[in-house]
Amino acid sequence: MTPLIQVAGLKRHYQMGGTTVRALDGVDIEIPAHTFTVVMGPSGSGKSSLLYLLGGLDRPTAGEISINGERLDQMDENALALFRRKMMGFIFQSFNLVSSMSAMENVAFPMQFSGIPVMERNQKSLQLLGQVGLADRSGHTPSELSGGQQQRVAVARALINDPQLVFADEPTGNLDTASGVTVMQLLSDLHKSGRTVLVVTHDQRMTRFATHKIFLLDGHIVSEEEYKSATLALDNQGE
Amino acid sequence: MKLIDLIRLVVNNLNRRKARVGLTAIGVVIGTAAVVILVSLAIGLQMNANEQLYGIGNLSQINVSPNYGGGGGGYGGPMVQIAGSLDTGESALLTPRAIKDLQALPGVVSVIPREYLNAQMYVTYKKMQGYSSIIGVATEDLTTFGLEADQGITGLSRASVVIGPQVAMGFYDPNLRPGQETPPPPDLYDQQIQLTILKYDADGNEIRKNISVRVAGVLAETGAESDWSIYMPLDQVASINEWANGFRVNRNKDGYTEVIVTVENPDKTIEVRDQIIALGYQAFTMLDFVQGINNFYTILQVVLGGVGAIALLVAAIGIANTMAMSILERTREIGLMKAVGATNRDVLAIFLGEAAGIGFIGGAGGVLIGWLAGQGLNVVAVVYLAQQAAQQGGMPPSVAVYTPIWLPVFVLLFSVFIGMVSGLYPALRAATMIPVQALKYE
Ligand SMILES: Nc1ncnc2c1ncn2[C@@H]1O[C@H](COP(=O)(O)OP(=O)(O)O)[C@@H](O)[C@H]1O
Ligand SMILES: [Mg+2]
Repeated sequence: MTPLIQVAGLKRHYQMGGTTVRALDGVDIEIPAHTFTVVMGPSGSGKSSLLYLLGGLDRPTAGEISINGERLDQMDENALALFRRKMMGFIFQSFNLVSSMSAMENVAFPMQFSGIPVMERNQKSLQLLGQVGLADRSGHTPSELSGGQQQRVAVARALINDPQLVFADEPTGNLDTASGVTVMQLLSDLHKSGRTVLVVTHDQRMTRFATHKIFLLDGHIVSEEEYKSATLALDNQGE
Repeated sequence: MKLIDLIRLVVNNLNRRKARVGLTAIGVVIGTAAVVILVSLAIGLQMNANEQLYGIGNLSQINVSPNYGGGGGGYGGPMVQIAGSLDTGESALLTPRAIKDLQALPGVVSVIPREYLNAQMYVTYKKMQGYSSIIGVATEDLTTFGLEADQGITGLSRASVVIGPQVAMGFYDPNLRPGQETPPPPDLYDQQIQLTILKYDADGNEIRKNISVRVAGVLAETGAESDWSIYMPLDQVASINEWANGFRVNRNKDGYTEVIVTVENPDKTIEVRDQIIALGYQAFTMLDFVQGINNFYTILQVVLGGVGAIALLVAAIGIANTMAMSILERTREIGLMKAVGATNRDVLAIFLGEAAGIGFIGGAGGVLIGWLAGQGLNVVAVVYLAQQAAQQGGMPPSVAVYTPIWLPVFVLLFSVFIGMVSGLYPALRAATMIPVQALKYE
């Protein structure tokens, strides 16, 4: 069986004035369906760059990205948008909720682009809010919710189009420990319900739920041992 | 994205920034209100002018007169400026053959010679006397000129005449003694009236000729020349003229003094008029005059509309600015929309919709205010103008400012259009943002 996500020779270079930042510099990955993959790496190692490329939100400098056998790097903007709409859900470190909308409206937000009637959207939104434990907060705007609650709204929003794939970029990065654990638990539940989850983080605790682990250092994939020794060295340097 | 969802989202987004949207829309309100008031004013003025033009005559008629050659065509009177002629120096006479040529022009319905009675005369009915112009026309029925009978018939024959409705008004009793009551105007219909024509012999002796005719019809009012005229067959008038002036006319040599060309409809008038001039005759039509006036008011409408449009231009800059700011502030929201599957077209539609919405809100407010202001102006101005008319004579105007239904509809659509044009550049920027950059925007 071919893996759900296949990446070969992936590069993402940024041009910064005269210098080239090699955020990703030749990455090969295979991720089977129904897995929980955690991409670990220190800050600046290229984790977010990788996630945005896999989500079709950015264009690679070189390399191939296939999801479900379809080449993302060859799709045009419109095809990418439609692909994201039916295949993917995103969770960001900074929640990215629309501040003027209620929790229910935020969760239902992606559905309005697919032409689903408003009644159905709201119904599904309420159901998902219940699933993340916020049934009683559906009418609240983001400013009336705690960080952990906001991120749970974001998780519900990622699920509204029933995507096969869920991408999360540092989902616990802005959260206190307890809230972080709740969100991790929710992501683990998504995996258990059959979705493919890919989390990018430098939060060591996430690896607890992982079926697959990927370690990134300076735009390259490394083994767990290499990663551990390198990060130890980094930590020692820090002290 | 469905239209209903688009509208709902646009309304929500505008609702979210009420103060800013409101302030931006005020610019549009001012611009559209100005356009509505000023154009309504120009239209009102034009309607007044057209009301005053009532009675100017039949616009599908062309008065053609011969060109006697030698330049300096003397059509005479104030109409000379708009009576066109091609001064070739050659003469072009209205002989029966020439009339056939005119008849053959495409669009021409009839070509009818006309001649005024050219002698001193008066009309008598019982004890009363009146003066009236007598027009001889070479037609059996005045309906050819678009005239209608109020009483009796429009047909002409040797022993009967058809008169205009105002003819009777000019009758008076010459033997009325002071203190006696002025008699009311007579009802001349179906009555015998007597035409008395005067001429003088070489010794200065007065010679009279009396012709008794029956009034076979009274015409309906037109406001034009026919109201004050008595119509007779052309031959009859021509022979009276010959008798009075002692000059025998040979039609084949001298032609007629004037013919009236009637065309199918006023759209053809100018074209046929030009062809007649090209044949060397002098021709003029009241349509030139009316068109000149209408052109003036159309220009006035455009100019006044343009003044309002300048205010709209300022408003457009305001919309563009508001949209650009809004898009900058909502960059991350745009990134999110794209991440959750909004296409570039969806994003474009949302922001264009918001810009159009500002245009619509402002346009609706401006149309309402402009219309109300116009109505208010009407009440004041009509009263004032009616007083003026009462003092100086003339017809009081019925409206000063007139807003035809197309104007608010057009202005509203235009303000929506202005909104979209102003929002186009910011919306395109939003639509083409790279998702990852929009999402990371601080
Ligand atoms: N838009 C950009 N322009 C220039 N450099 C960038 C840009 N985005 C990321 N980088 C650089 O690429 C490297 C990887 O960044 P990123 O993928 O965000 O890492 P991580 O998410 O692991 O912290 C960093 O050195 C970062 O400074
Ligand atoms: Mg990152």
